[in-house]
Amino acid sequence: MKRLAVAVRGGFARAFGDTLARRIFLLLWVTLVAAQALAIGAVTWSRGDPYALRMHGAPSLPPLPGLVRGPRGPGPGPGPGQDAGPGPASERQGPGPGPQGLGVDADLRDVPLPGDVPMPPREGFRGPGPSQGQASPPPWRGPFRALTGWELTLDYGIRLLVTGLAAWIASRWLSRPMRDLVRASRALGESLHKQERLPLLDEQRGTLEVRESAQVFNAMARQLRRQFNERGLMVAAISHDLRTPLTRLRMRLETLDIDELQRQRSVEDIREMNALVDAVMELFRGDGPGAAEALVDVDVGALAQALTDDLVEQSMPVRFEGGDAPVLAKGQPMALRRVLGNLIGNAIRYGDSAEVRVGRDAQGVWLRVTDPGPGIPADKLEAVFDPFYRLEDSRNRHTGGAGLGLYIARELTLRQRGSLVLSNRPEGGLMAELRLTPATPA
Amino acid sequence: MTRCLVVDDDAEIRRSLDEYLQKFSVTVSAAADGREMRRLMATQVFDVVVLDLMLPDENGLTLCQWIQQHHPSVPVIMLTAHGDPISRVLGLEMGADDYLAKPFEPRELVARIHAIRRRARRGEHEAQTRREFRFEGWAFDRLLRQLVSPRQVVVPLSSAEFRMLSALVERPGRVLSREQLIELTRAPGVEVNDRSVDLTISRLRQKLGDSPKEPRLIRTMRGEGYLFDAQVQT
Repeated sequence: MKRLAVAVRGGFARAFGDTLARRIFLLLWVTLVAAQALAIGAVTWSRGDPYALRMHGAPSLPPLPGLVRGPRGPGPGPGPGQDAGPGPASERQGPGPGPQGLGVDADLRDVPLPGDVPMPPREGFRGPGPSQGQASPPPWRGPFRALTGWELTLDYGIRLLVTGLAAWIASRWLSRPMRDLVRASRALGESLHKQERLPLLDEQRGTLEVRESAQVFNAMARQLRRQFNERGLMVAAISHDLRTPLTRLRMRLETLDIDELQRQRSVEDIREMNALVDAVMELFRGDGPGAAEALVDVDVGALAQALTDDLVEQSMPVRFEGGDAPVLAKGQPMALRRVLGNLIGNAIRYGDSAEVRVGRDAQGVWLRVTDPGPGIPADKLEAVFDPFYRLEDSRNRHTGGAGLGLYIARELTLRQRGSLVLSNRPEGGLMAELRLTPATPA
Repeated sequence: MTRCLVVDDDAEIRRSLDEYLQKFSVTVSAAADGREMRRLMATQVFDVVVLDLMLPDENGLTLCQWIQQHHPSVPVIMLTAHGDPISRVLGLEMGADDYLAKPFEPRELVARIHAIRRRARRGEHEAQTRREFRFEGWAFDRLLRQLVSPRQVVVPLSSAEFRMLSALVERPGRVLSREQLIELTRAPGVEVNDRSVDLTISRLRQKLGDSPKEPRLIRTMRGEGYLFDAQVQT
């Protein structure tokens, strides 16, 4: 019973409340009536003919062409009125369609009907030119008088203007909630990452449907924020709590009396675990409370050079090929270091050596890391970006890693409005291409 | 002997640090929280404090500021499980003299303790721990290992360039021989020689936009070495 009452009330609100349907109805109706009234009013006013106003909207129909022709009699061709010299109608109509044109109803209203009592020839028609006739005050010609060209233009102009204006205003007015929603949705992702204020919608304004969507959207945004924060905090907490036992383990290795090779291997394992914790922390840094790195102009040539030099210092097989001119891109320096470091690390691990190139083209700035290794099967080129995905042959290797490296690298790249793709080179080996937006020219 | 106070809430880390550091002629006192740290610092004199950022009762940053106010001559090495650069920045801005991320290499901690002691003895307390140096419109951020150009472009540095530029900006207007630079830019596991010094200098000149033929910032003193010729501000 209660549910029924709610349903009825909802239906009532939908039918009579401030709904989208009612807005559209009102808008169309008001616009059409206004266009009509304004056009008629303006035409009448321009004529200074109050009677026409009364008759214009009168329900009487203009005579149909068939009716006009009816009493003309059997004789085809022009009626008798036209036989006697230049017909008055053609004179008055000027270059417009002749009386037989029958194209426009309004024209017919002026055509003297053949069966009619011939009107006494007016002064104007006897005069030397038609201009004189037009100058004389228009006589009363019945309720259906043709609109002159100017009046027609005015009439159509006003209708076009009013309906056009109303359509423009209405389209802005009716689509505003949609645009607000799009803008808010777009801002949502960014504000979640940056811990900014949520782009909430106004729940009090707009039609019933709009208010309902605003409520749902806001609830969803708050829920997302809560989950994002919880995820960030949880990962931070886990990472933090992992580091304390890792520190203990590391200290224990110093004091334990064990074989040196075993000790070194254990130290290496601890380092690897910590690197993973580092990577995960970096990934979730923007999610939890705490500022994300700012997007700044970075000399990516210098970055690639610096990373390569560091690895060369540790006798790693890396080469940097680049010009001396700086290559500037928009990016987050620390995140970029991690992304490029990961790509070079992969190239060395799976392809035995890495070559880094930097440049720019019409699409932006690119960094390419290539290796002479076996590459990746074409159907796996995208799959390797999935978290915890690992290629079959790397699973058995000690150096396989957790399968998070490329996932994190791409996440960090997307955050800098860049892209990261892998491809097999025709000459063999893998190429990782990192693309970034060029820096704003100074 | 160096007297060191370790403040960490983990009992095993306190105990193992005590055991380990003794081998390197460092005597260790340990505190589990902020209250104990204040009590110990009131009654004893320490040469260095190794302070964990996360403590049960008080934030390590607040404690760090407290040490700065009440015992300004005692340097602090901050330990933290938050390895990200932001907490590193915070730690150093709150007055820590050095920073080490957990899990750290025990040898690295020993090296840092000794380095801080050496600097304190030489009265170099300030310059070495400064985070940012400015010269000729450039900003050198030692924490993030990068240069920021006068046009606000970030220019990342390699480890070798970072060590070299650190050595240079700390001694502006002084001629440094290659031998001195090799000594100053030595790092564990890395071979530094005449050739690598010259290479690093030329890389730095390139990044600083210094012409290799007529360098203005890093000048070549024929037969003597290199000179960093700029007004350095903090």
